[in-house]
Amino acid sequence: MSNSQASVAPPLWHHHRLQLRTTLGALALDIDLDLTTMWTVIFGPSGSGKSTILRALAGLLPNTNANLIRQDDDRNEHNLTQLPPRDRRIAYAPQQPSLFPHLTVAENVTFAQRSSSHSMFSEQNINEAVKLFRLEDLTHRYPKNLSGGERQRVNLARAFAVPNPQLMLLDEPFTGIDRPLRDAILSDLRSTLLSRGIPVVSVTHDVEEAFRLQPEVVILRDGRIVDQGYVSKVLADERLNLLNALR
Amino acid sequence: MDLAALGLTLRLATVTTVCLLILGTPLAFWISSARTFPRRIAQAAVALPLVLPPTVLGFYLLVWLGPARAPGRALIHLIGHPLAFTFSGLVVGSVLYSLPFAVQPLVLAFSHVDRNLTDVAATLGASPLTIFRRVILPLSRTGFLTAAVLTFAHTVGEFGVVLMIGGDIPGLTRTLSISIYDQVQELNYSAADRTALLLVVLSFLALLLVYWRSLPRESGLV
Repeated sequence: MSNSQASVAPPLWHHHRLQLRTTLGALALDIDLDLTTMWTVIFGPSGSGKSTILRALAGLLPNTNANLIRQDDDRNEHNLTQLPPRDRRIAYAPQQPSLFPHLTVAENVTFAQRSSSHSMFSEQNINEAVKLFRLEDLTHRYPKNLSGGERQRVNLARAFAVPNPQLMLLDEPFTGIDRPLRDAILSDLRSTLLSRGIPVVSVTHDVEEAFRLQPEVVILRDGRIVDQGYVSKVLADERLNLLNALR
Repeated sequence: MDLAALGLTLRLATVTTVCLLILGTPLAFWISSARTFPRRIAQAAVALPLVLPPTVLGFYLLVWLGPARAPGRALIHLIGHPLAFTFSGLVVGSVLYSLPFAVQPLVLAFSHVDRNLTDVAATLGASPLTIFRRVILPLSRTGFLTAAVLTFAHTVGEFGVVLMIGGDIPGLTRTLSISIYDQVQELNYSAADRTALLLVVLSFLALLLVYWRSLPRESGLV
């Protein structure tokens, strides 16, 4: 089975299920989201609630009505709703890199392993993150000396280095990263996460990026899911519009 | 120059600064961590010494820590003597009087730590204590320095509170500022001049250190 087939076929039955009903500012969210495939892309216009869904999954929306259930390999359900972010085993790379300014790139990437009481330090895991996101020459630099794209790569590497995550959340993960590098990293990241069996939810505006990942796509509008399905079906119109624009 | 007063003043300022950094850090963190009414009450109470005449605070301390009131009697029972006219009494008075000079810079420093950083740290598996130790504390270094220097300098310059609670006992409770007052009373202007100049220089150096450290640095901090 190829990787693309592996990502579309549902190897797990809703590994996570999110129910989110809340109002944040002018946005009323009413979400029932079953995550069933290894890569799910949330697609939608700005302000539709994409990032809010990731924050809810990560446990960063306290005092909101957000229920999160995890199903393990034996189909047992675990309610994560009351768990704080540190105990959810969910790696999260936010849209704004938010790197720790007082730590070097290497220290940022190793933060999770050095902070979590649940994990042993794994040099191999860190080296893999540094290599995958092409950070070998940047490890001793501080965030203020990095370009936007470099900061974004550190942000991704830091989330990737979280020990034994059960879910990975990537919010506009390739903002500011040039296209050839993005394609190379995307390919490596996708195959690595698939081989480790770590499901991913990512947010993107980029139709091409969505098609490269061959994910299940969730279309969000005004805080509601308006469509959900395979990328070739759900984003067919957007793809056609893109192709027409290029002619 | 009253060297005994100088030594006592420096000792009092050091002990007060250490006490206030230890007590003020959790208090400032609690105040800065949410905008609730009890925290605003605490913040206003902490700021009271900024607007109250020092003699008011000194008077209340003298009364409440003396044998006429229950807290004072309990304290006397506990330590065997009243706090008034002792070095310990000076420390208690200084800690209360300099409280805003320690707490307010720390509240400001903690409030300025980007909430996104602490959120991300939580998703990376860090406990609240680890987040405080590895993220908030290092990013609040300037706030700690400001708190320490201002507390130290303010304690060095105290007059009203220490006079009320400590009196003017040479070698025991007579600080530099009281020494100047005594020297002026004795018409010994040259000695008062030297002591005053020393206080000016100490205070100026302390403030210079604060402003110098708060300039942008070439370190990793943005």
